[in-house]
Amino acid sequence: MNEIMMDGKKILVVDDEKQILDMYSGFFSMKGYGVQTAKSAEEALEILEKEQYWVMFLDLNLPGMSGVDLCRQICRDRPMAICHAVTGYGSLYELHDCRKAGFEDLFIKPAGLRDLLEAAEHAFKKLERWRKGGTM
Amino acid sequence: MKILIAEDDLTSRTMLQAILGKWGYEVIVTCDGAEAYAALQQEDTPQLALLDWEMPVLDGAAVCRKLRTQKRNDPLYLILLTSRGNREDIVLGLEAGADDYITKPYDNHELRARISVGSRVIKLQDELRERDKLQGVLEMAGAVCHELNQPLQSVSAFSELLLMNLGDNDPNLEMLKNIRGGIERLGKLTRKIMNITRYQSKPYLGKSKIIDIEAASRPEER
Repeated sequence: MNEIMMDGKKILVVDDEKQILDMYSGFFSMKGYGVQTAKSAEEALEILEKEQYWVMFLDLNLPGMSGVDLCRQICRDRPMAICHAVTGYGSLYELHDCRKAGFEDLFIKPAGLRDLLEAAEHAFKKLERWRKGGTM
Repeated sequence: MKILIAEDDLTSRTMLQAILGKWGYEVIVTCDGAEAYAALQQEDTPQLALLDWEMPVLDGAAVCRKLRTQKRNDPLYLILLTSRGNREDIVLGLEAGADDYITKPYDNHELRARISVGSRVIKLQDELRERDKLQGVLEMAGAVCHELNQPLQSVSAFSELLLMNLGDNDPNLEMLKNIRGGIERLGKLTRKIMNITRYQSKPYLGKSKIIDIEAASRPEER
């Protein structure tokens, strides 16, 4: 787990729309984060096999495997990962499903950049606290 | 609740009208089958009708038969009133499209109970119809929100990025703020659409109707 701190603060973003990935990359890079993007859940899993990411933003409606299933698999393999759901259509039912799958939070598009940044900062703070406390 | 009665006999008609009124129903009175059929073509027509079988011009069974060939938005519950009480007639009446059958002379308690059954069936049909409509609305709302929110996310985020980078004296600041205002309104609108919980329409141009987003969405999103 210490690897994450040595690697710096990296975020994995999964969305099937290039414009949205560009937006995430531009914004989080500007704020000093490393950003890796994937256009599908399958691509994200391939990336995660090679590299460790602990903070993620996942679109729910993805081609192939859904964002909810992706989160479920990530949380099963990496229980300390912090995944945030971002969706174009949200309901209470969806939030319930997201929490059950292991998502930290759910953002409805159009999500404000400040909210996303706050979520990322909060996630990294939490990881740092876990690391310092020796729980990871 | 409104009930239509079709009865050519003045005494029976007056008695029926009086008792239904006493029970709290709003009564639409017609004197023959053709008049009843015409009244049931109007807008906001009763959904429950008591039709005498023996009537001039069009008899009650013929009215049922004609009504059942129509594709209607509102379901109709039709009760035939008749002195014909044998099994063949009952079968004939029900096959003509009646939902129920009451033989004369009828007992008022039985009439009231059968009208209550009809009201329950209509209520159930209305609820099912509303559920189907709501399902359609929700599916459409989901598709529209998803498709709108995707580009809206890009526009919103990129404009927010621009705003972060503009100085307070930048001549484009006001324009960008206006753009942000529009984006926020669109975002609020899609959230309202996402929170539609019931089917509620409102009149639009001419006879057309549109979904009343304000009234149909959960109160907290209004």
